[in-house]
Amino acid sequence: MNEADTSSTPPRRAKLELLVRHDSDEGFDVRQVGSATAFVQSRPQRVPAESWELAEMPSRMAGQPSYFLKNTTTDRFLLLTAPEKFLWEQMDGQTSMQDIATAYVLRYGAFDFDIIPALMRKLQRAQLLTLTPTSRLRKALARNRRRPLVKAIEAGLTALERINISSRNVQRVFAAMYRFGGFLLFTPIGVVACLLLAGAGLVAGVKLWREGGDIVAGFGGHALQGVLMVKLLFFLTVAAHQIVHGLALIHYRRRVREFGFTFLHGFVPTFYVDVTDIFMTSRRARVVTAVSGAVVHLVLGSAWFLVALFSPLGSFIQAFAAASGMIQWQAFVVALYPFCFIEMDGYHVLVDLLGVPTLKQEAMSWAGSLLRRGASWRIGRQEALFAFYVVLSTLSVAAFVAFNVMLIVHARS
Amino acid sequence: MSSPAETLVFLREVRLFKDIAEPELAALGASLRERPLKRGQVLFREGEVGEEMFIVLRGTIVISKPVTGRVEQVLARIGPGDFFGEMSLFDRSPRSATIQADADATLLVLDREAMRRLTELSPRAAAAFFYALVQVFIERLRASGDLVAEVTRWGLEATGLDMDSR
Repeated sequence: MNEADTSSTPPRRAKLELLVRHDSDEGFDVRQVGSATAFVQSRPQRVPAESWELAEMPSRMAGQPSYFLKNTTTDRFLLLTAPEKFLWEQMDGQTSMQDIATAYVLRYGAFDFDIIPALMRKLQRAQLLTLTPTSRLRKALARNRRRPLVKAIEAGLTALERINISSRNVQRVFAAMYRFGGFLLFTPIGVVACLLLAGAGLVAGVKLWREGGDIVAGFGGHALQGVLMVKLLFFLTVAAHQIVHGLALIHYRRRVREFGFTFLHGFVPTFYVDVTDIFMTSRRARVVTAVSGAVVHLVLGSAWFLVALFSPLGSFIQAFAAASGMIQWQAFVVALYPFCFIEMDGYHVLVDLLGVPTLKQEAMSWAGSLLRRGASWRIGRQEALFAFYVVLSTLSVAAFVAFNVMLIVHARS
Repeated sequence: MSSPAETLVFLREVRLFKDIAEPELAALGASLRERPLKRGQVLFREGEVGEEMFIVLRGTIVISKPVTGRVEQVLARIGPGDFFGEMSLFDRSPRSATIQADADATLLVLDREAMRRLTELSPRAAAAFFYALVQVFIERLRASGDLVAEVTRWGLEATGLDMDSR
């Protein structure tokens, strides 16, 4: 290879080999960590709020405004564009670079591969970024590690976080599932069948509701255990939910990058599928992908209601089927209902339609500042949206909790 | 357990002993003892006291240095014919890294007494041994420099830190 060729070849990314010891035994794993992987997973964190100020510079042209970002410690100024300001707002130490890039695509509909590294360089030169990214929970645990209980929790979380059963080689599996029947879900016939089943399920659900007392009696004094079994079975259907998301990607000729099981935040067991490739397609494709997973719960819930309707009154099967139908329908509503502080499918559809990918974070931040500092009560369109989101979400979560408490109390009595 | 003849055949292939004559090597081989190590087992940790060096007879050994918590930086992965622990053999300083087996391994232990006997028995053999040792030291020093550069580059790439325009 001549010199010119060498200079045009991009440099190889650095890799570190790390040895990670097991907690439980003498064993260890050796893992290679590429710098690119670390960069994508890093969580850039801006300096504390008291160390910077941001001011809008209205544009005299029709275009977007610019922003002055000042480091109040060093008195250095930066001029940010609107997209750069958007990225700056994401750099809270909690959001990974990958999530920031995703948020950018959702907001601006395209991705500029240079903008994030360029902004990072700019911010680092102005000493506006810190390099201590970690979760608040893990920080707090690390600070109190001397306490045996805290140490045990930390060890438990670490052990759970390590559990990640996944495969990146799933494209062919999903393509095969799509070819051998999965495609039917995305045909008019499939949609009509789902709607008919949902209608039948609704009718069955209404009839069952009237006989609710007799039905729950089928648990025979073991209501709590019954509900726990129902929840366990429901958990398995979350895998089906994720699989249908993957099938939607195949339908839109995109790539399923990963499918697996892990403990979210170290303690929430969940299946997941990487659907990020869908961001490169149309909004319709994104909406269909988001909604399709939730439809699994609608279909299963309806099927359970029908099973309950045709089961002997007061039998355990009827109680189990009715409870399963109820939880599946709840999951359908929770998945598609965007106002519950959880970033589920419906939330992603909402923020996509609104073009505000960080609605929850911004709304929570606004509400927090309102409570702490009594921020200005001047309500513009954006503030109205934030207020609407926070109020409706709070009421919805309260109603959801109350509904479940009522169900359990009703079942026990 | 290897027979003395098998040990001698093995030592012949070890770089450290390549210029040592057969009788001296046989005598040295007789003074080495075997030390088995199970997969995952730690031989010693950084900071511990020791006065022996080890030659890998079978298996793979990982040399690492603690970084934070349960995480350690892998410095090297070595196999049959490679050696480690020589620094403490000479200066009695605490171990500078942690040693563990990546696969079931067998080590040959060379202690201070065996070293003294080799020097007394054959200064020529000892000189050949030390010359080979210095050559390996030089290579490892270069490799350490490369590792420092690689780790620094990793840090810059992982954090997006741009030093070019500073």
